[in-house]
Amino acid sequence: MQENSASYGRGFDRLLAAPLAAYLLLIVALIAGVFLTITRDAIAQAFGEPALFNAIKLSVVTSVASALLSVAVAVPAGYVLSRHRFPGRFLADTLLDLPIVLPPLVMGLCVLIFFNTAVGRWIDRGLVPGGLFIYRPLGIVLVQFIVGCAFAVRVIKAGFDSLDRRYEEVAMTLGANRAQTFRKVVLPNVVPSLIAGGVISWARIFGLFGPILLVCGTMRGRTEIMPTTIFLETSIGRIEVALVIGACMILISLATLIVFKRLGGRGYLW
Amino acid sequence: MVEGGGIKLEGVSFGIGGFTIEDLSLSIRDGEYFVLTGPNGAGKTILIKLIAGLLRPADGEIKVRGAPITGLPPWERNIGYVPQDGVLFPNRSVCRNIRFGLEVRGQGKDQMRQAVERAADMLAIGHLLDRMPAGLSGGECQKVSLARALVLKPELLLLDEPLSAIDEDARDALCRELLAIQHETAITTIHVSHNRKEIELVADRAAVLKDGKITDIMDVGRKA
Repeated sequence: MQENSASYGRGFDRLLAAPLAAYLLLIVALIAGVFLTITRDAIAQAFGEPALFNAIKLSVVTSVASALLSVAVAVPAGYVLSRHRFPGRFLADTLLDLPIVLPPLVMGLCVLIFFNTAVGRWIDRGLVPGGLFIYRPLGIVLVQFIVGCAFAVRVIKAGFDSLDRRYEEVAMTLGANRAQTFRKVVLPNVVPSLIAGGVISWARIFGLFGPILLVCGTMRGRTEIMPTTIFLETSIGRIEVALVIGACMILISLATLIVFKRLGGRGYLW
Repeated sequence: MVEGGGIKLEGVSFGIGGFTIEDLSLSIRDGEYFVLTGPNGAGKTILIKLIAGLLRPADGEIKVRGAPITGLPPWERNIGYVPQDGVLFPNRSVCRNIRFGLEVRGQGKDQMRQAVERAADMLAIGHLLDRMPAGLSGGECQKVSLARALVLKPELLLLDEPLSAIDEDARDALCRELLAIQHETAITTIHVSHNRKEIELVADRAAVLKDGKITDIMDVGRKA
């Protein structure tokens, strides 16, 4: 029997696989280090405080809300950028990259400065006397959205870019107006990129720390999220509790990525 | 030429990039099988898209059976369009592809089922109805695409190089099928093709398009 051509040159393939194996080993070693260091006492101590549950709840709720909001904005934004040429498109496209390129801390500073202007103060405290965003959970969502939405737009736009425009043309000649074409033809064919956009933006948002600390502080039970809890616990020397929270974040991230790949995201970016 | 019947392009102009169509006029008779031919980049697909409403002319008028359609969007023109490769919606089965136009028109389930069955029978694709587009051959894709357009009983059928990705034997057979369907439905048809044999098999008349201008119109006297 003739040998399959794919089996020739396996030595070279192994050579190429070596860096991958080394990198995976590094990741596994780092994660294993966290889990092996955690003691039962530390787990009991961490979960014995309601603050941790609140931080987990606030982290999950705000990051999911921000990711959904990011996708809701990224779908129309990505479509317009993918399908249309308009004056200022280059500028819009470049501005979109800013939240990706800028350090998140700078974005947080920008938010803080904005809410210190007359317009910002009115938006923050004009409607609700106690304030809507500064030192408020809604501020966490706002900061997460500002940082995460650009990632969602980039990924979802790539999905629209890769969709043959002729599907839309055919749909329109078959009697579908623009809205029907978008709903019945465009959206169902970019589902993997919508999921990928949501997950990428969530992944960026979930661990966001610096700008949230700047804009919302870290008040126990009010604006404390998992990354800020790690910061708080580390700053008061409770490293073992910080590790438990870190391990929770690792598990939540892993579970999300696995669900994402099961939902059809596999093969799109990963 | 039948005045008021068929399709009429009057002084149509359009420009995109460096390419222009200027003051193009053309009359196609009601029920005629008309082939548009010419070299690559001559503007054949652009002309088809102008008629379908997918592009908007800068100037001129397009009329179908005497009624101006230039200002209408594609979804209000009732023009069937079969692009190269069929372009079937990948997320829909063959059956759901064919009934797409009926769905957006809000037709009932029974009506849709009957119409899909009729179109599938006409093109002998009944056995493909439950299949997904990814598993179909080039010829099958084109037949499904044709059924999807015909099920709406269009006033005009535009076929943009429908047989270019199909091998020669299957092409001849499909040409004969296209012609039989056109006889049965009497739909005015514009078919874009590079292939001389294909033109001779199907065309009543053919026009040669070069650099956005019609350089010749000939009676073909088809062989099929």
